[in-house]
Amino acid sequence: MIPDTPQPWLKLERLSFSRGERTILKDISLDLRAGELTLLTGQNGSGKTTLLRILAGLLKPHQAGFQFAGNRRKWRQSYRFLREQICYLHQHPYLFDCSVYDNIAYGLKRKKLSRQVITTRVGEALELISLEHLAQRNCHELSGGEKQRVAIARAWVLSPRLMLLDEPVSNLDKRSRGICYDLINRLQQQQIGVIYTSHEPQVGWLNLSRHIHLYGGELTMKPLQPEKPTVVELHKGTTGL
Amino acid sequence: MESLSAASYQALYLLFTGDSALWTIIGISFSVSVRALLYAAPFGILTAFLLAYFSFPGRRLLVSVFNTALSIPAVVVGLTLYILLSKAGPLGDWRLLFTQDAMILGQIFLCFPLLVAMAHSALQASDRRAWETALTLGASPLRALLTILHETRFGLIGALVASFGRIIAEVGSSMMLGGNILNYTRNIPTAIALETSKGSFAEGIALGLVLLSLALFLNILLGQVQGKGEVIQ
Repeated sequence: MIPDTPQPWLKLERLSFSRGERTILKDISLDLRAGELTLLTGQNGSGKTTLLRILAGLLKPHQAGFQFAGNRRKWRQSYRFLREQICYLHQHPYLFDCSVYDNIAYGLKRKKLSRQVITTRVGEALELISLEHLAQRNCHELSGGEKQRVAIARAWVLSPRLMLLDEPVSNLDKRSRGICYDLINRLQQQQIGVIYTSHEPQVGWLNLSRHIHLYGGELTMKPLQPEKPTVVELHKGTTGL
Repeated sequence: MESLSAASYQALYLLFTGDSALWTIIGISFSVSVRALLYAAPFGILTAFLLAYFSFPGRRLLVSVFNTALSIPAVVVGLTLYILLSKAGPLGDWRLLFTQDAMILGQIFLCFPLLVAMAHSALQASDRRAWETALTLGASPLRALLTILHETRFGLIGALVASFGRIIAEVGSSMMLGGNILNYTRNIPTAIALETSKGSFAEGIALGLVLLSLALFLNILLGQVQGKGEVIQ
């Protein structure tokens, strides 16, 4: 382990998942630390989305061990914790059929916060994504880039430890991509970890902490820019490391 | 036999002068059918949700059963429940036969498959990402379910309206289970059947007009609600 590296808040151990006869993920181990911005690459069908959905507590793996701050837990005890700590954003994020304001407030209302706190937090989120003027607009009337920003803000207001962004800029134009990259870098500055999936290894605008690659169901670490040290240690159990 | 125009005129007269016998029948009809729908709706929608969102053994068989049950005639439902509820039947001790509760029971059995089939279609067409998004934003499964119902509300309202339309106008089950007792179990369809058999068309037409008006009203209501759910250009 690299010295001075913060302790991982979540350790994923020997995770496997198959669908029918097909093995999607094989014996994957991964440490997650606060504020890491991880690029996860892999071809179509390599299992990126499956891995993210398991991490988000939305999909049960066939085999996995979870350690939260050193405490080992089974899936039954883990998935609720994962849902509390991690927010998953689909490739094409789903926005509820209501206003931008109500979408961003959705998770805050579930936390039973006061109306005043919710209003303040939503205001901050709208400011973060520069969409204050669209607060009362129905989300179905937004452009693709605006939807993506609202989805990020909706997760951000919940102050998660980790956000899982599944190819968030794949269908966006250059300007919208730039805005999203800027937002993602700001999440990292606030010590919110991000796992960002992409087909492409080149996402130059992001201040990446590490690059991991899924191939044949196995996870490998890829080099970042030469001058940029990686702060991750993948377990020995992970093939190819 | 009175002429159609004279009977229609008298029907309107009966309706607008607040003929108590007529309005009692209308009241019973609505009371029974609304209660049947209220009892059936939560279970029907929940069943549809489970069928649409979860995999379990026998799921496809259940979907087929509900789709098949759509075409069961009301009179068959009435007959089956009549046998079960009659004094010699296994549920005879409940003493439900020829009561409004028996009519409600029959109407629940009639509308449940339609409700499940239509709600299942609506929920099946919904976006699974909505469910996952609600969960990842901290919603409990129950809250996520309510969110999904909100997202699919247009289809679900359509299912409710169609189910109500089926039971408010059915005659076979109500006649057999309610017995067409005046001021107690006589509803619009059984009254129309009785009045027509007596050759008293005015009351039959008046009640028919109520059913037609109801159908028109429900369709306008559905159109209004679904109109707001149009695809945004």
